[in-house]
Amino acid sequence: MMGVTMAFGERVLFRDLNLALNHGETIGISGPSGGGKSTLLRIAVNLVSPTAGRVLFHGKDVTEWDPRELRRSMILVPQQASMFPGNVRENLLWGLRIHRLEASEERLRDVLSQVNLPVSMLDKTAGNLSGGEKQRVAIARALLLEPEVLLLDEPTAALDDDSTEVVEESIQRVISDQDIGVMIVTHNSEQAQRLADRIIEIGNSRGGQ
Amino acid sequence: MMIQIPTLMDWLATLPPEVVTAAQGYVVAMILLAIILLLNRWQGLGVGNKLIVGTIRGTIQIILMALILVEIFALEDMIIIFAVLLFMATFAAYTVRGNLDYIPGVFRTSLPGVIVGGVGVMLLVTFLGIIQQRGEFIIPMGGMVIGNSMGMTSLILDRMWSNAQKQRALMETALALGATPLQATELTIREAIRSGMLPNLNRYASLGIVSIPGLMSGMIIGGANPVAAAFYQVIIFIMIFLATVVCGIIVSRLFLREMFNDRYQLTVPPPTE
Ligand SMILES: Nc1ncnc2c1ncn2[C@@H]1O[C@H](COP(=O)(O)OP(=O)(O)OP(=O)(O)O)[C@@H](O)[C@H]1O
Ligand SMILES: [Mg+2]
Repeated sequence: MMGVTMAFGERVLFRDLNLALNHGETIGISGPSGGGKSTLLRIAVNLVSPTAGRVLFHGKDVTEWDPRELRRSMILVPQQASMFPGNVRENLLWGLRIHRLEASEERLRDVLSQVNLPVSMLDKTAGNLSGGEKQRVAIARALLLEPEVLLLDEPTAALDDDSTEVVEESIQRVISDQDIGVMIVTHNSEQAQRLADRIIEIGNSRGGQ
Repeated sequence: MMIQIPTLMDWLATLPPEVVTAAQGYVVAMILLAIILLLNRWQGLGVGNKLIVGTIRGTIQIILMALILVEIFALEDMIIIFAVLLFMATFAAYTVRGNLDYIPGVFRTSLPGVIVGGVGVMLLVTFLGIIQQRGEFIIPMGGMVIGNSMGMTSLILDRMWSNAQKQRALMETALALGATPLQATELTIREAIRSGMLPNLNRYASLGIVSIPGLMSGMIIGGANPVAAAFYQVIIFIMIFLATVVCGIIVSRLFLREMFNDRYQLTVPPPTE
């Protein structure tokens, strides 16, 4: 990201932010609530356009990418894990279906085990899962598309300590198993220390670096 | 110089007998209106003014409309008849815009849907000879088809818009997985079209048993053979289904341009409490 500034009306969230995510690296992003962390991740995948500055992915401006391709290679898992109607299997296949891809039952099992979910989960109604389970399904749903970069927005913010631990463990596994770049937004600075190679603060009064 | 001013009675004498009969009925029906007004005062419903103004204005509007129809039917000109349908479609789109004034782009989204769905179906059935090529058939049936397309349009726009606000997170999740606007709204659209069809599907299933619908009632009152009226009733249902589905498909596709930009970003603002 180069010189990215974001403002809603008068309110400037961050100014002239520069940030590079290297291949296979994990960056933690922290900052106060309302500081613009979620907005920053949305900007990265071109779900919103910054007020100024550009975002490059593989050297090409994200606005020049086909949005479908961009968001298949760099997937944002939003702050609130939302499930599509249907069971877990249908949810996992949702992302593949829109890209006209398929997955074997075995692949589904693999990806579930990556996020510490039992295979029996596949036929459960996604809407009835616990917060932590939904969060992990959302991560698995993204992983099935084999993205190069995963953007996780506060994956454990809404969870109790036990689920936080399981979800964090799943993320840890994803990071070490796979050659994948990760940006993870978190309030929890210890979690950031444990998971990330480096940590970036955004949304202070002076703007981030 | 004397100018011959026809009296009301002279004018009435020139009217066809069925109009005179209906007009007499209208006058007597004012007794019913008086009863409603009394009930209204007694129960404090507060709709008295609406009833009185509605009766006066509605009578004038609909009689004017009827006089125009008399002229149009007399012309027997298909181009004029379809111009009337186009006017109705435009008015329908305008009405939807008025009812959904918090949604942008309603008129330009609705108009093509109502025209292609509503007017298009009328062209088709006229061309195929399914209904008689006369204004007496095309305009009332067209009114029903266009009216139903209008209802479908406003339902779809309202559903798509409010889902984009209420289920914002889900829609963003879909986009974040690389979905196109159409893929992200597929389910909403399907459900909106289905629920737009549902009331008519119910009436369709209970046709003749629970209800004798408007068109058939009208034709029977007008003196048509009930069996002929029954055929037309089924035909009008089929026309309404085709028109509303076509209209729904077009309106939903066009509305995606108001909800998303070409970067596949959701442009619907979050709900303001
Ligand atoms: N579309 C929008 N229009 C106006 N303001 C917005 C919009 N989206 C976000 N904001 C504002 O931008 C600010 C930053 O929001 P953002 O969600 O990025 O913060 P955050 O750092 O993720 O906070 P949290 O830790 O609570 O998740 C908030 O004050 C929010 O109200
Ligand atoms: Mg946030």
